[in-house]
Amino acid sequence: MSTSNTAVANKIEIKNLTVNYTENRKSFNALNDVSFGVGRGEFVSVIGASGCGKSTLLSVLEGLYSPAGGTVQIDGKELHGTGTERGVVFQHYSLFPWMTTRKNIEFGIKQARHGVKRSERTRIADEFLHKVGLDGFGSKYPSQLSGGMQQRAAIARALAMDTEILLMDEPFSAIDAKNRVVLQELLLSLWEGDGKEERKTVVFVTHDIDEAILLSDKIVVLTAHPGTVNEIVQVPFERPRNRSALVGTEEYGKFRNRLLGLLYNDIRERIGGDEVVL
Amino acid sequence: MTWKKRFLRVTHLLFIILLLVQLLPDRSTKEVFTGKLVTFATGVEVVTLLASFIIKKPQSLSLLLDIVGFVYVLLTVWSLATAKYNVLNDMLFPAPGKVINQFVEDRQKILINIRSSVGITIQGFLLAAVTAIPLGLFIGWSARVGGAATYITKFFSSIPPIVYIPYGIALLPTFRSVSVFVIFLATFWPVFAGTMSGVLGVDKKIIDSAKVLNVSKPEMLFSVILPASLQQIFLGCNQGLSVSFILLTSAEMIGARDGMGYYVKYYSDFGDYTRTITGLLVIGFVVIAVTFLFNKLQNYLLRWKR
Repeated sequence: MSTSNTAVANKIEIKNLTVNYTENRKSFNALNDVSFGVGRGEFVSVIGASGCGKSTLLSVLEGLYSPAGGTVQIDGKELHGTGTERGVVFQHYSLFPWMTTRKNIEFGIKQARHGVKRSERTRIADEFLHKVGLDGFGSKYPSQLSGGMQQRAAIARALAMDTEILLMDEPFSAIDAKNRVVLQELLLSLWEGDGKEERKTVVFVTHDIDEAILLSDKIVVLTAHPGTVNEIVQVPFERPRNRSALVGTEEYGKFRNRLLGLLYNDIRERIGGDEVVL
Repeated sequence: MTWKKRFLRVTHLLFIILLLVQLLPDRSTKEVFTGKLVTFATGVEVVTLLASFIIKKPQSLSLLLDIVGFVYVLLTVWSLATAKYNVLNDMLFPAPGKVINQFVEDRQKILINIRSSVGITIQGFLLAAVTAIPLGLFIGWSARVGGAATYITKFFSSIPPIVYIPYGIALLPTFRSVSVFVIFLATFWPVFAGTMSGVLGVDKKIIDSAKVLNVSKPEMLFSVILPASLQQIFLGCNQGLSVSFILLTSAEMIGARDGMGYYVKYYSDFGDYTRTITGLLVIGFVVIAVTFLFNKLQNYLLRWKR
């Protein structure tokens, strides 16, 4: 049985996904007939205005929420529930507050990589703490770290789990602008790597256009009420990327405006006027 | 801190006043053991001075000095009203030196009684904790939406545990087992209710975070839900602990042959109010010591909270 029309099968295949939410006894359609694929080693961002169901989409991929219709396949197999082949970074509380950062990472490794010895787990944890620039913070509790450092540790855990897929739900949205830029660049360099290792497949949810452009190979723009795919856009910029070299260019400006237009039109249609200023 | 700030404090002046007052002639008809009081106060002063060397934080030092100062004032007024001017009935109000002397004389007996009281409390308390916490975790987690257990708990915890005592006496063979049983009941419900409310209050984001790590059910309960609800559990434990002391000492006054409640009741029946007051003060110190240690444990286990 063929799982995909393309020559190379997608790592994640989302087909006709429909999700209903029940809140205060009222049921509403959060996602309607959403379909797209994520290639192996591809970095895909999902953007859209708040309420477009982008986080709901990610909860389905995380296995925390069951769809009303449609399927999600990973490596051709239908997805059921949570699984440690997917590493997750949330906006808040990715880490357990009662564990030190090192313990948090060790716990993730223990769950995802069976058979790794305790001493080895500690070694891996410290290695990834180093990679995210948290040397010497292994014995600190999350509450002793800044928001940005907590997200660094959460990324370290997800990477230390060495899963093929990374799911990130607005991981930098609660971080101040300056640190957000630093974290984006850290994620970019960790994900792009040195080219020797296979890149991870990433689904990244955000409402920040610049973040999506900088990081992604492909951007899925969602429209709200109900959440449907407005357009899927390939990001035309070469890797490895460099923010300062990229942001000033004319192509960047054009591309950004195009994305903005996709989001903006959607909002204008919904409000029914063109006095909206973004 | 400067030398002056460390040692030139009002508390030490209060100590000297206390000593000077002791130079006044004793007017009580009874023996008042002024020497014992002086020895005791000097001991407290020596310890306080030693602590003044060691303590680093100015606030901690001030706190200690304030408390010690209060003790000196209390002892001064108390000895003036009893031993020195004899304005109170010296049968009902023993002089401070007398109480101190009594404590030293009875120390063996008191120690046995403390051991009995604290032993029963710990036994009942631990029994309640090891049953109520897992049960609360399990029921709270499997019924995260239903509130039936909450109402049932409300009903049982609204029964003042002291009314179980007559039934407990009929049910169980020894006074010790009755006391353990009653403390168990008194502690079980607040700990159970605390655990349940803790579980129901765990942030959904933490649970999601655990779910995506594919934790097993026991891990979810004991490695995630338990630490996440620990603060509420401790709230229940504290409540249980304070009820336990009230209950145990009351029970001991009813039918025990040991324990601090028994000590107080027994000697007040004989009109030995020196021992009665000694007993009261000892109970105060024991309760403070137990609560202090328990708070230390709580702070240690919750050290990850900001």
